[in-house]
Amino acid sequence: MADDPREEPSRAVGGDLVLPIAAVAFTAYYFWSIWNSPWEAQVAAFLIGSILLFLIAIYLVRTLREVLTGRANLGLGPLIGPSWITPRRLVLLGLTLGYVIGLDWLGFTLTSFLFLFLGMVTLSEARGDVRKFFHYGITAAILSLAGWLLFIVAFDTRFPAGPFERVMDAMFGL
Amino acid sequence: MIGGTLFLEMFTASLAMWWVIIPAIFIGLIVGAIPGFSAANTIIILLPLTLAVDVEVGLVFMVALYCSSRMGAGVPAILVNIPGTAGAAATPLDGYPMAKQGKGSQALAMSFVASVAGGLITTLIAVLTLPWLAKVGYVMHSVEMIVVMLFGISLIATIAAKDTLKGLIAGFFGLMIGAIGADHIYATPRGTFGFLELYDGIPLIPALVGLFAVSEAFVFIENRSILSEEGRARMKVRGWGQTIEGAIMALKRWWHVVWTSLIGLLIGVVPGAGASIASFVAYQQSKTFSKTPELYGTGHPEGLIAPEAANNGVTAGTLIPLLVLGIPGGATAAIMLVVLQFHGVQMGPRLFMSSPEIAYGMIMAMFVTYIFMVFTVLPLSRYLSQVTMVSTVYMAPVVLAFTLVGSFVPREYMFDMYLALAFGLIGYVARKTGYHVSAILIGVILGPLLEAYFLRALRISQGDLTVLFSSTLGNVLWVLLVISICIPYVAEWRRKRAREATSTATQES
Repeated sequence: MADDPREEPSRAVGGDLVLPIAAVAFTAYYFWSIWNSPWEAQVAAFLIGSILLFLIAIYLVRTLREVLTGRANLGLGPLIGPSWITPRRLVLLGLTLGYVIGLDWLGFTLTSFLFLFLGMVTLSEARGDVRKFFHYGITAAILSLAGWLLFIVAFDTRFPAGPFERVMDAMFGL
Repeated sequence: MIGGTLFLEMFTASLAMWWVIIPAIFIGLIVGAIPGFSAANTIIILLPLTLAVDVEVGLVFMVALYCSSRMGAGVPAILVNIPGTAGAAATPLDGYPMAKQGKGSQALAMSFVASVAGGLITTLIAVLTLPWLAKVGYVMHSVEMIVVMLFGISLIATIAAKDTLKGLIAGFFGLMIGAIGADHIYATPRGTFGFLELYDGIPLIPALVGLFAVSEAFVFIENRSILSEEGRARMKVRGWGQTIEGAIMALKRWWHVVWTSLIGLLIGVVPGAGASIASFVAYQQSKTFSKTPELYGTGHPEGLIAPEAANNGVTAGTLIPLLVLGIPGGATAAIMLVVLQFHGVQMGPRLFMSSPEIAYGMIMAMFVTYIFMVFTVLPLSRYLSQVTMVSTVYMAPVVLAFTLVGSFVPREYMFDMYLALAFGLIGYVARKTGYHVSAILIGVILGPLLEAYFLRALRISQGDLTVLFSSTLGNVLWVLLVISICIPYVAEWRRKRAREATSTATQES
């Protein structure tokens, strides 16, 4: 806390720089990819990219000035926090990536069931509450079956087929 | 112009199709609300059905499904900040803040009434002015469309009012991402990272799912509910009060509904222009001419009414080039064309002489669908709004699972799900660090369209940039664009002067 109540606390701006830095990297890659292209392919990108780089340059100068004058620091600030949710958020991110990868192996219905159940357990406060976990299991099963009925049976979406879809196809032609 | 007897005949004939219209309304609501599904791909799935029945029945079914899917897209946009289609991308700007305040039912009712009223008004205008409206498609060339796109893109600066620099960076980053893909003339791959799946450009649904749904799910897990404390208290009050209040609020702003839906109608008439452009332009214009622009983005009724009325105005507009010129104004209209041709109906000017019952019947079916929607959809708002009460423990995994698979649906590429995740990360960083995801999305949606029209204009003029100022209508639109960009600044300057004058007067007295 600042000693002088009139003094503003230093603001963490490191997180604010992530998007501009990503934008600069992408724009540089984009320019490289069109360097030898006909002018028609270049004109719009060079125009937009140049304005973007100019805006980012102004933003960086503004941020640097704030850091040098002590009004801001390079901490990540709200980007990752609050700290209590960070482990759960990372697990959920891992589960989401696993869900996309798993669809190819287990098919839509089983993967959705596993993802929904594990996602709910991850975010839940009820550690070791078997009844709550049973409730999550039932909810996940109902939702994944409803998804199967809607997406695959009703709308004929061609998700990768897994064991469940193959069994249903063999038994009922669905 | 349509005669009174024919009008009445068409109206009663459409009313008699209630058994087709009502199921189509509910199917449309569902497919519109799920990102990745749309009226177009649902009609394709149901094509065997529409081809098997009488042409009138098939057409009424398609038209009703089309109208209600437009309205359905606004439901998740309001309740959980996830637009069902790109046409509803401007809806959450004010709809979601209302839902967070526990006014979900009110916001839905307002959106439904604005959609229905906008749809009814534009359908009526369309049916009365078909021959003249069809000419709009002739006068809107590349140059005019460039200016219309710029109206939409200028919204980036409008919604970035809190930190203009950050808003502009987000918008131009979106435009840069939107430029990914093969160029429009030589098909040179640009910024594709070597992925063949990106040669056609950035697919909109994965971008929409990632920027809105995935990022939102990773942010709202920080709280047990998406509702604020005040919102939770408000949601505990049961009854129809909010629904009725929302409907009345929309009706009281009838003039706002009229002119924003007309924007939608005029943009919808231009083949290739879509609901996303119309809703962004309508929102931008609504804020520009508002007496309370500072309230936009905080749950302001007019900020919700404008995009919803406009994207329903597009629905009527899209059918006009199909009926009058035989040119489909969008994907759904193109499928309708296929069905009509299968039944031996030839579209174009002769249609009004050879089969007036089909030509006017399509528009009348739309009119009747909107009337049915008042009774079928409006009462749902009270119950649909209960979604906001669901704990984020359930909500986050459900949103992630069902929107990610939605991003797979349009092209059926697994790649699109990974792309949605990548956009989710961009959206998450943007949300947490104060960059507006809507600004990025506007760039992604409008960027490629702007480039296509720009290059077309340059090709026609053989590289002469003065072509941008070569048409009278284009020049009028340029002037209007400059005026609409300047108005907020002038209004703010006047307000500031008024405040200063008031404070000086207070000090002197």
